[in-house]
Amino acid sequence: MIELRGVGKSFGTKRAVDHLDLTVRPGELFAFLGPNGAGKTTTIKMICGLLAPSEGTVTIGGHPASSEGARRQLGYVPDQPYLYDKLTGREFLRFVVEMYGVDRATGSARIEEMIDTFEMGDFIDELCENYSQGMKQRVVFASALVHEPRVLVVDEPLVGLDPRSARIVKNMFVSQARAGAAVLMSIHLLAIAEELADRIGIVDHGRMLAVGTLDELRERAQHGGSLEDLFLKLTGDDVLRAISPVARARLETPR
Amino acid sequence: MSLALPESLVAAPVGIEADRTARALRWLRWRQFRNATGVLVADSRLRISMIVFCSGVFWAGLFLLFLGSFQFIASYVDLANTIVEYLFSMFFLSLLAMLLFSTGIIVYTALFHSREAAYLLTTPAATDRIFAHKFAEAVGFSSWGFFLLGSPLLVAYGLTIKPVPGGESGAPWAYYPLFLVYLLVFVMIPASLGAIVAIVVANVFPKRERTVLALATLAAAGGLFLIGYRLWTTPGEALTSDWLGGLLNRLAFCQNPLWPSRWMSAGLLASAKGDWRGAGYHLMILSSHAGLAYLTAAVLARDLYRRGYSRVQGSRSNRKRLEFRLMDAAFHRLFFFLPFPIRLLILKDLRTFLRDPTQWSQFLIFFGLLAFYFLNIPRLGYGAQSPYWRNLVSFLNLSVTALILSTFTSRFIFPLLSLEGRNFWTLGLLPLRRDQILWGKFAFSAGISLISTEFLVVLSDLMLQMNPWMIVLHVGMIAVLCLGLSGISVGLGARLPNLRESDPSKIAAGFGGTFNLLVSLVFIFTIVTALAVPCHLYFVGQDNPESARIILSRGGLRFWLTTAVVASLIVGAAATIIPLRIGIKAFNRMEF
Repeated sequence: MIELRGVGKSFGTKRAVDHLDLTVRPGELFAFLGPNGAGKTTTIKMICGLLAPSEGTVTIGGHPASSEGARRQLGYVPDQPYLYDKLTGREFLRFVVEMYGVDRATGSARIEEMIDTFEMGDFIDELCENYSQGMKQRVVFASALVHEPRVLVVDEPLVGLDPRSARIVKNMFVSQARAGAAVLMSIHLLAIAEELADRIGIVDHGRMLAVGTLDELRERAQHGGSLEDLFLKLTGDDVLRAISPVARARLETPR
Repeated sequence: MSLALPESLVAAPVGIEADRTARALRWLRWRQFRNATGVLVADSRLRISMIVFCSGVFWAGLFLLFLGSFQFIASYVDLANTIVEYLFSMFFLSLLAMLLFSTGIIVYTALFHSREAAYLLTTPAATDRIFAHKFAEAVGFSSWGFFLLGSPLLVAYGLTIKPVPGGESGAPWAYYPLFLVYLLVFVMIPASLGAIVAIVVANVFPKRERTVLALATLAAAGGLFLIGYRLWTTPGEALTSDWLGGLLNRLAFCQNPLWPSRWMSAGLLASAKGDWRGAGYHLMILSSHAGLAYLTAAVLARDLYRRGYSRVQGSRSNRKRLEFRLMDAAFHRLFFFLPFPIRLLILKDLRTFLRDPTQWSQFLIFFGLLAFYFLNIPRLGYGAQSPYWRNLVSFLNLSVTALILSTFTSRFIFPLLSLEGRNFWTLGLLPLRRDQILWGKFAFSAGISLISTEFLVVLSDLMLQMNPWMIVLHVGMIAVLCLGLSGISVGLGARLPNLRESDPSKIAAGFGGTFNLLVSLVFIFTIVTALAVPCHLYFVGQDNPESARIILSRGGLRFWLTTAVVASLIVGAAATIIPLRIGIKAFNRMEF
């Protein structure tokens, strides 16, 4: 469903993504991991058609990423989501439904379903400018799912959500994948990736270091520990060396 | 029941979908307008009343000015029609240039830097639909001032024109709705051209947008100066037939039949005289060119918008910034008497100011043009004029300097606090009292204002060969104006902040910014009038000792000038302290 073949992206002299190959199949929940500045958001923006790759191809369901056919199948939750301040949450969802050409009766039913699922009944008819971060986040998730996308791309999905809302969102990801959607989520919380993902990709300096199930990654890296240790091993982060000598001495001093 | 994703939600015929997308975007605009108006009416009736009142006063003032001007022009019986034709052509040509600039900049920001554009580009909406949506928004935002400026002019003209020589004054009624159609169509031409330039710049110079803007502004300022200089140096005695003929000759470029402003003025003049054939002809020329310009912009957007967006977003600058270490050290040494945290805040604002060319380039261009004009005063021969003229010109120069300063404080100083509010957690956690933050902003604004305007005023006075006492008076006046304008902008900026907006130009164009500008203008008017009137009355009588005794003697000047200086100092202190106190109080109470 999501196909990246030999994709590269340069910003001037800086190489943000370097010859990246990636496939996310229908029904699969793929976790995209990597340190800050590894090229995750750039890759996601290329998948959503916001950035054109410097080389290689990105396709969504066989359509080029920047085409209307690709965007029609896509649901996207960016790391800094956008809502119209002067619309209510319900009006925003109605706008999304219209934009994606969902027929009116089905759209209304889907909007009500999303309001129930994300428990937004108390605030959905207030203007978005009055929402808290968590409320905004829930409306954004609802807007990404209301048109039943075949591809769901999510950048840092759980920022600003309370544990209950986070659980709802995680359930929705799994449910979408089980319904046949390809779900790609970029995330820093390794425990969530470990819990939800069918496959994990670890990227650093724009290159894919490893892709596979958690077991496959462990086997390949000859590492039996947690995903966090595996991630640090693959990305070469020596945390103890990265901190200052004083902090290191404090860490190593027994209590 | 199947739990798989339904096909029907994600596939539909393309033509029908395009219509639905357009309908959805129209609905979005309408809904946002309705909700925003509803909120304004419910929560900010005073604000709306103020906006309507101020707009009404502004409109009425312009209308009276234009009415008086047309009545005056009518006294040139032979040349009245030609003068009006030139006046309209020049007026609409200036607006054409201004709208080209303003809409171009707004379209560029709306298409390539707004978060809404990023969102819409991920939806199935076609790029030309997104362009149309953002274009409509930008045109509305940039051209409301055009209607506010153009409508009183055209109403005043309609009321004064005599369609039949020697007959009754007043254009036929159909002229009034028709000029609105003309304005609407005319706006589309510069707006579309601005959009075309914006799309081309994004595609060709994605990393050089500010350089392109700075060069374009410089070129426009140079052109403006050249025209102004040529008009200024028209030979002959002012307001004589020869002088007027020479002036019109130098304005002949605005009558070029290829300018849309020429079609606009010819069509409007024809419709005011009831020549519907001529009016319709020019309206058709205007509409067809407006349509062509928009179509070109839409086709370019369809093919190049997404590419341009990618290029602009992908042009992150990784240029290392200068550290300003020398500037920091010199500043700390020079202003050692200020508390250290305030010095740090001033340096922070100064660094932001220097790193944003849109701020200092406008400042530099306007004050640079003024300095250029002041330096050329000897060539214009003012120094050789009578004391009366030199005094008049010196006060006019000072007023222009203060007016430009007030636009600077309204545009750049007023929004400072609103912008700070978004990052207030950083400042809020520092070991600083909140009022120190405001004092820091005030010192920053007053410092920059004093350095630039004192230099200009002294330069103007030296070029005009003013006597030392008048130079001292002007230096004091501009200092009072700098402190007052800074106090007003910082104080009102804290009292009327807009914490939701991240674009300083929109903050300045909002209610708070407009109110700030109005208060600043009233303050300038008060100070300048208080001091200029006694000086003017004294110098009026200098050429004639008889009238000097009647109007204002030297003793009288001393008394009235002292009174005016004391009054100005009191008004200046009030304008500095009262808004700052109001601002500090509001800022201390503010929750972020």
